[in-house]
Amino acid sequence: MTEYSRRRFLRVATGTGAAVVLSAAAGTAPAAAAPQGPRVYVLVVDGLRPDEIGPVLTPTLLRLREAGTHFPAARSLPVTETIPNHVMMMTGVRPDRSGVPANSVYDRAEGAVRTLDRPADLRGATLLDRLAATGRTTGSVLSKEYLYGIFGERASVRWEPFPIVPVSGHAPDLATADALIAMVDESDPDLVFCNLGDVDRVGHTDLTGTTLRAARSAALWATDLVVGRFVRHLRDTGRWASSVLIVLADHSMDWSLPHRTISLRSTMEGDPLLERRVAIAQNGGADLLTFTGPDAERAEAVARMRRLALATDGVLSAHEPGQLRLGPEAGDLVVYCRAGWRFTDPQVWSNPIPGNHGHPATAPIPFFVTGGHPAVTPGTSSAPARTVDVAPTVGALFGLPEPDGGYDGTARLAPVPASPR
Amino acid sequence: MCPRVNSRAQSALSRREVLRAGGALAATGAGLLAVPPAAAAAAGPFAHGVASGDPLPTGVLLWTRVTPAAEALPGSGAGPEVSVRWEVALDEAFTRIVRRGTVATGPARDHTVKADVTGLAPGTWYWYRFRLGGAVSPTGRTRTAPATGSALARLRFGVVSCSNWQAGHFSAYRHLAERDDLDLVVHLGDYLYEYAPGGYQAGEVLVRPHDPPVEMTTLEHYRRRHAQYKTDPDLRALHARVPFVVTWDDHESANDAWSGGAENHTEPAEGTWAGRRAASQQAYAEWMPVRYEPGGRLYRRIAFGALAELSMLDLRTYRSRQAAHPLDPVISDPARTITGSEQLGWLTAGLVTSGAQWKLVGNPVMIAPVRFPSTLSTRELEALSQLTGPLEGVPVNVDQWDGYTADRARVLGALRDHGVRDTVFLTGDIHSAWAAELPADPLTYPLTRDSVGTELVCTSVTSDNIDDILGVPPRTASVGVEAAIRVANPHLKYVELDSHGYSVVEVTPAAVQMDWFALADRTDPASAARHNASFVVRAGTQRVQRTGEPLR
Repeated sequence: MTEYSRRRFLRVATGTGAAVVLSAAAGTAPAAAAPQGPRVYVLVVDGLRPDEIGPVLTPTLLRLREAGTHFPAARSLPVTETIPNHVMMMTGVRPDRSGVPANSVYDRAEGAVRTLDRPADLRGATLLDRLAATGRTTGSVLSKEYLYGIFGERASVRWEPFPIVPVSGHAPDLATADALIAMVDESDPDLVFCNLGDVDRVGHTDLTGTTLRAARSAALWATDLVVGRFVRHLRDTGRWASSVLIVLADHSMDWSLPHRTISLRSTMEGDPLLERRVAIAQNGGADLLTFTGPDAERAEAVARMRRLALATDGVLSAHEPGQLRLGPEAGDLVVYCRAGWRFTDPQVWSNPIPGNHGHPATAPIPFFVTGGHPAVTPGTSSAPARTVDVAPTVGALFGLPEPDGGYDGTARLAPVPASPR
Repeated sequence: MCPRVNSRAQSALSRREVLRAGGALAATGAGLLAVPPAAAAAAGPFAHGVASGDPLPTGVLLWTRVTPAAEALPGSGAGPEVSVRWEVALDEAFTRIVRRGTVATGPARDHTVKADVTGLAPGTWYWYRFRLGGAVSPTGRTRTAPATGSALARLRFGVVSCSNWQAGHFSAYRHLAERDDLDLVVHLGDYLYEYAPGGYQAGEVLVRPHDPPVEMTTLEHYRRRHAQYKTDPDLRALHARVPFVVTWDDHESANDAWSGGAENHTEPAEGTWAGRRAASQQAYAEWMPVRYEPGGRLYRRIAFGALAELSMLDLRTYRSRQAAHPLDPVISDPARTITGSEQLGWLTAGLVTSGAQWKLVGNPVMIAPVRFPSTLSTRELEALSQLTGPLEGVPVNVDQWDGYTADRARVLGALRDHGVRDTVFLTGDIHSAWAAELPADPLTYPLTRDSVGTELVCTSVTSDNIDDILGVPPRTASVGVEAAIRVANPHLKYVELDSHGYSVVEVTPAAVQMDWFALADRTDPASAARHNASFVVRAGTQRVQRTGEPLR
């Protein structure tokens, strides 16, 4: 990895009057007058459900989708949480290779449950650093503090999310879009990786999620406007013909009623072998269970954990982490809830929010490749696009070689020819 | 399930009908059984045509029936053992024959022939024919499925169900055969009916009588009835034109069949149910172009590249007895089943792990909940109940998935819990056209419109529906009934209770669309057909939407 301490700060004025501060690796060139190769913008609308794209609330997203290649069979990958899926997008490898299986894990070394938000948590290279190493400029505009945390200074130009909304730990989309536009103007990166957090953050707390989705709908509408502003900026500055936008979500969202909660902690505590020897990392719709007792008892303990979990109301399934291509960081057992339920661990009051993800019900995501670049073709593809496909797709656009060990994903560029046989 | 033809009123009518229609028929009585079916002998050894079915990427099943000697009549058990040769070519003139073989047959399998051809190329049209001695069969055309996992821009097929010989002519099959755009035909059951002449026909009109002229209960009956259906020129033309993928519903054995009996089965007068069902299944295996042999498993899955897969269900062999009435609490008893636990596990596991974009389910009876409105008149309710089963005022047809709500909850729950998208149930049985969404939660559906899948129901080829039962002109009394049903069931987006005909389904990566076509007159062998309605399910939406644009 390169030395990140040699960096400079750029203060950029924006169209909305706010000032945006970007940090850049030393030697990063400011924007050239006219873009040369493709400009790729990976826009993650955090937590967006594919069925939420429509003419009323999200006309911009709908238009973009119709102009590009749409992958209606697209899905997020386990665990369907923000950090692991953003890591899969940028690495092109599954969590058993990247070391990032969930937002929250039990850290055996530290003996505590924690968020995977440190640069060292992510093993191996990402597109942001691999592409930068070829002399191109990469940028990250990540609205969530923990995303900024784990991707750290890998991109050549970074925006640190600001201002941060208390509790949610993310910057509002208005600020994120300001930063995105400022970065494009200032550094014109070949690749920008951008996360828009409002739709997810508002979804989590929408108490009308199971019925009206009032707050969620407002967020969808506002985020769509923000995306529209970015697209307009690309057009107004002559960049559209060289732009490829990969628009997707990291996971979708499922709402549960207040009584549909599962606390595995209390279930495990009732078993003498497991009592005080199970650590639970709660990831909304997925609980990651780790046995903290001696290795000799692990096999029996995991068998009991599985049995107890599967006997619990609202539990859908339990899996060895390897089955889901998760590494040892995921602990000993991954337990999923059913749709309309959520985990609340370690305590029954730990997770009060109605909107959750992490379970298979939240795997379907929007995924489309759009923009004005000639590589973009309109159409629909049956291909099973996944979050892990973003890196190979972007890599193919730049002619970047595969990483060591190859990609776990597939480049998704052209749809099936539209004409029938 | 289909119409309740054995109600007391209907039976009385049937008896009158028999007496009025045929003094001769009634007088001859059981002696008629000995009379040979009309079309058999004269047309040479291939009088029942050729067919193909269950296409795979590199293979397809070919079918025919030979009449090697005058006495080898269907169901007779007479006639010699013979060898039948088959040929598969890349062209209609058979200049490029790619596969050939020989199949032995004889009276043990009623002289039917099934050749499971392998070693073919994916997504390819082939022509095939059979030879017996110097005789050559008519030529059939068939198509293999696309290569496993391959991208496919379009799949188009006909969808049909409920073809009752006595209720009319099979013009629906002719119109499908005349099309040049179909990859296959899916038949969702009630391919033939068990009734005697007068038992069940076109309202009060017997358009053409069944052979044998008794309710089929024995192997000989079932074989003869299958043979009779295969003499229909429109059905023969369609079988020769494209491969079929079929499943049975109840009338292939008897009305409202379940694992231990049937509404239209009386022991001991009609033998044991086990014996009767075995006879029906043997005749089905012999006479249908299906990869099924007696004692085997009819439910199966056929894949069409990465675009779609089609799970064909058997909802008769393993099901628990129907509830007595819609208020019977057993309808939600988790111990009762419509699929059997093995088939349910196979279905849900397949849906959850499918590699295909569209998960199509060939589903003999409706899965969408249907609640009947309380505002209908007694007469309207009676007519509806003849179409759908007993209702006695309220909610459900207990022969459909509505009568087995635990199994339905398991299927729809699996779709919801695993985030399975783009599941479309293709359904027959109910002699009417429906397009429905499948609510994830019926309580919140009116607010959220959260749906876990969709259902498209084709109407009957000929079997009676509402206007026939009410004895009124089409699009009169039914219109009000349809409106009332839709008000009581917001997830039902289309209900049309009058027309007979067929559907055409197109599957593309962007959408699934069903077009419904209605016959002008099912009793007219030359009936015209016209486009009646079209609904589209766009990818990822789990919603049905009317479209004014039929498929081109």
